[in-house]
Amino acid sequence: MKQHPLCTDCEPEINVMDLPIPADLKQAWSTMETRRRFLGRSGKVLGWAALAGLLGESAIRGHAGGGDAKNSSAAHPRNDLGLPHFAPKAKRAIYLFMSGGPPQMDLLDYKPGLAAQFNVDIPDSVRGNQQLTGMTAGQAHFPIAPSHWPFKQHGQTGTWVSDLLPYTARMVDDLTIVKSVNTDAINHEPAIMLMNTGNMNAGKPCLGSWLAYGLGSMNDNLPTFIVLQTMINSKENNQPVSSRLWSSGFLSSEFAGVGLRSGGDPVLYLADPGGVDREVRRKMLDAVEQINRQTLADVGDPETNARIAQYEMAFRMQASVPELTDLSKEPQSTWDLYGPDAKQPGTFAYNCLLARRMAERGVRFTQIYKRGWDVHGDAVGMLPVLCQETDRGCYALVTDLKRRGLLDDTLVIWAGEFGRTVYSQGGLSAENYGRDHHPRCFTAWMVGGGVRPGMTYGETDDYSYNIVKDPVHVRNFNATILHCLGIDHNRLTYNFQGLDQKLTGPVPASVVQGLLA
Amino acid sequence: MIVADRVTGAARSLMQRTAIAPAAGLRVLAGSALLALLPFAFRLDGHAHADWLQFIGRFHPVLLHLPIGLIVLLPVLEIAGARRPALRDAADFVLRAALVLALPTFALGYMLAYGAGDMGTTVTRHMAGAIALCIGLMFCMLVRPAWAAGEQTRIYPALLTATLLILVWTGHQGSSITHGSDYLTHYMPGGLGRWFASGARDAYPDSFYSQHIHAVLDAKCVSCHGASMEKASLRLDSYQYLMKGGKDGAAITAGKPEASLLLARVTLASSDQHFMPAEGRTPLTSDEISWIRAWIRDGASPSATSVPGVNIAEVRSDPPPQPVGDYSALMADILRVQQGQGAKLVPVSGKPSDGLILRTVDVTPSFGDAQLAQFSRFAPYIVEAELGRTAITDASFDTLRTFTHLRALHVDGTAITGSQLARLAPLSQLTYLNLSGTKVDAQSVASLKSMPHLRHIYLFNTPAEPDPSAARSTP
Repeated sequence: MKQHPLCTDCEPEINVMDLPIPADLKQAWSTMETRRRFLGRSGKVLGWAALAGLLGESAIRGHAGGGDAKNSSAAHPRNDLGLPHFAPKAKRAIYLFMSGGPPQMDLLDYKPGLAAQFNVDIPDSVRGNQQLTGMTAGQAHFPIAPSHWPFKQHGQTGTWVSDLLPYTARMVDDLTIVKSVNTDAINHEPAIMLMNTGNMNAGKPCLGSWLAYGLGSMNDNLPTFIVLQTMINSKENNQPVSSRLWSSGFLSSEFAGVGLRSGGDPVLYLADPGGVDREVRRKMLDAVEQINRQTLADVGDPETNARIAQYEMAFRMQASVPELTDLSKEPQSTWDLYGPDAKQPGTFAYNCLLARRMAERGVRFTQIYKRGWDVHGDAVGMLPVLCQETDRGCYALVTDLKRRGLLDDTLVIWAGEFGRTVYSQGGLSAENYGRDHHPRCFTAWMVGGGVRPGMTYGETDDYSYNIVKDPVHVRNFNATILHCLGIDHNRLTYNFQGLDQKLTGPVPASVVQGLLA
Repeated sequence: MIVADRVTGAARSLMQRTAIAPAAGLRVLAGSALLALLPFAFRLDGHAHADWLQFIGRFHPVLLHLPIGLIVLLPVLEIAGARRPALRDAADFVLRAALVLALPTFALGYMLAYGAGDMGTTVTRHMAGAIALCIGLMFCMLVRPAWAAGEQTRIYPALLTATLLILVWTGHQGSSITHGSDYLTHYMPGGLGRWFASGARDAYPDSFYSQHIHAVLDAKCVSCHGASMEKASLRLDSYQYLMKGGKDGAAITAGKPEASLLLARVTLASSDQHFMPAEGRTPLTSDEISWIRAWIRDGASPSATSVPGVNIAEVRSDPPPQPVGDYSALMADILRVQQGQGAKLVPVSGKPSDGLILRTVDVTPSFGDAQLAQFSRFAPYIVEAELGRTAITDASFDTLRTFTHLRALHVDGTAITGSQLARLAPLSQLTYLNLSGTKVDAQSVASLKSMPHLRHIYLFNTPAEPDPSAARSTP
């Protein structure tokens, strides 16, 4: 195997091409070795270039197309796929991901009948033979914990909203609230994978990657798919959020989400070091590209193409990211709307503001992760903190998009990976309770291009335990999101492992027509 | 006595002339009498009866087209039979079959109406027509042998014609029940429609009730709660009836949405047996429910033209997009222009007729009037122009006004002043205009009032912004 040109510590390896074996065997070897070579090499290259860390996972993995990467206008949307399949209502989407599983009955799924049943065991008929998590399966009692907070009706639609969400309450007339989302998984990792990739197992592309693959970039100077993580509040019960969730799976890694850091530099090592100006950097990249092209010619590994494209993207991001994250020109009205939190990088409000700026600049898909919703205990203590952190940001983002005329063609989605149980986990007291994971129903909302404003879809029973009307499975939820962006979920496929893979998986999914504008 | 003798005598002579056996005649008379008495024995009083009646009754629509087909076939066979006598033999069988099928069809229909508690003029008419039809068929059977034998020439054709006319009328009444009374006339061309249009006029044609509430009830409720059918004695086809309510009480309590039965019924779970519209008919949309709720809350007035908080402009949907022509021949040109300056023409979708988007985000600062002018040759294919924060000025309107298929125009954050806005007037397709962050003032925006479809105008951060808290405005 040939030593990589930039690799200084490579051990000498046997070159199969030099071995005394038949030529067709060598040929077969050169086509089959890709993964082995890729894995072997990527471990080593991690160390040699600071730029590799710059785009995280995406830099190490693949790319298709791109052509002359220096000429930015050559990177066209992927018209060869014939996408969008039909004129879309939304060009871009922003996904506010509430990791951990927000308790639906404390926020938007109002259950007035529960107050009278405080500490009463939930009827067996409601729970059925459901298998619970290990955390509550051993409980002798499943006492009903009514929400600690009162609900009020808001807006022309008279939608019931918890007092925990005073800002969300102001925009209910714009929201499409879905009370009947349901999932197959009861634990975080499979559920969050299912929500994002349509499959509980890792290795499938996520929604954002499918969008990047299918719809392509709108702005050559910024990634198509950006992930923003919200700073951790250490008091909260934070479930891990990993890059698997914005992985491009079997799609070329060009389509993986690019994570911006929540603190410090948004992208590490993006700025040129002292003494290196843009000219020098350009020359260096040109040289690296030449070497990479040589490698590409030698090996024919498509991942090399991805590498070349990512270097170029990084070069362009050196100019575009500082402009993106420079909030100094934001008018006072922005700060009035988003609140003081937005001035601190890494907060949810700050990320919401960034998301709006990315929408303006043509980023196709932005996903903001907010962790900490996993309120197994001390719900009464934690929910006000969580809501205070997120409520105003959500409202500000939607309102800002709306007043700037961006909401017409932007779809905003708010969802977690599952809901929470109406019964208390652990002890229920008059002042406090906890809630376990609940996959049978949870509440999400959408707003903007493609969905019908001011409506509530689906209903749950009196315990917010089972769905009694219009269930929306995760795959149908995702199919509906794709539809808003002009994609027929059955036609956006990628042949892998002998299957036409798709975001909604092999089980038939359908667009929820009732949610559409 | 003399009169009775006369009638008996006339009947006897008629029977002799038509060669009717007295026994057969009596059977037909008895059957007719039974049919005619049925509505008096089981009166359609608006009360629902046993569910099994409805269950069986619902096969009425399945069965009814069979006898209709046979009855319509009958005159065809009789006329064609003049040339081919075998067809006349068949006609005899068809007539019998029609009667054999018409009677159970009638029975099922009656069970449907009686079981469900239907009432109303159309239902009554449909029932009367069906009775007349069955009686007509029986008499046809009675007099046909004489006609076929050539002993009598007029009575059977006359009876058959009458039966056919009754069939048409009855069928129309029946379909009015299922499809609504304006099913036939709704899409009738204007001139014709005037002859059929109902004379009823709303007292307040511009009121919120007439424009929105009545429209919803008419589309979703009136087929069961209207003149043709008054389920639960409730009619919703006029304001007076709506406020009067039905047998369960008032449908609307002005000012109190939560106490209004109508609202309660349409917002139940769809699986609830009291959910309306019943029987799987199209439910009300959330918009429609919210209008009704807001209207009741505001006092359920018949005359108020607006209800606070309900913005009618927003609930209207945009016009369907006009397809653009085929630009495939220009692809080489398009590629050359965008390679030269970096702005792109991107297809809206895989369908070329959806048009192109002019996208400048990669070259925002350097994209000015001259660059825009280069795209004028693709003008009829561009449906959206994303020119936000570019270097264009008022001079760009020379080019923009040639974009005849433009639906969305983003010029936010540019140096345009608004003095040229009126020049957009020829762009009849324009629905979206983003002027945020420009210098446009209210006066120049007013010049856009005449544009028919322009509903989404954004004026955030401009002198024209009506109120900083409500950036969205509709001209």
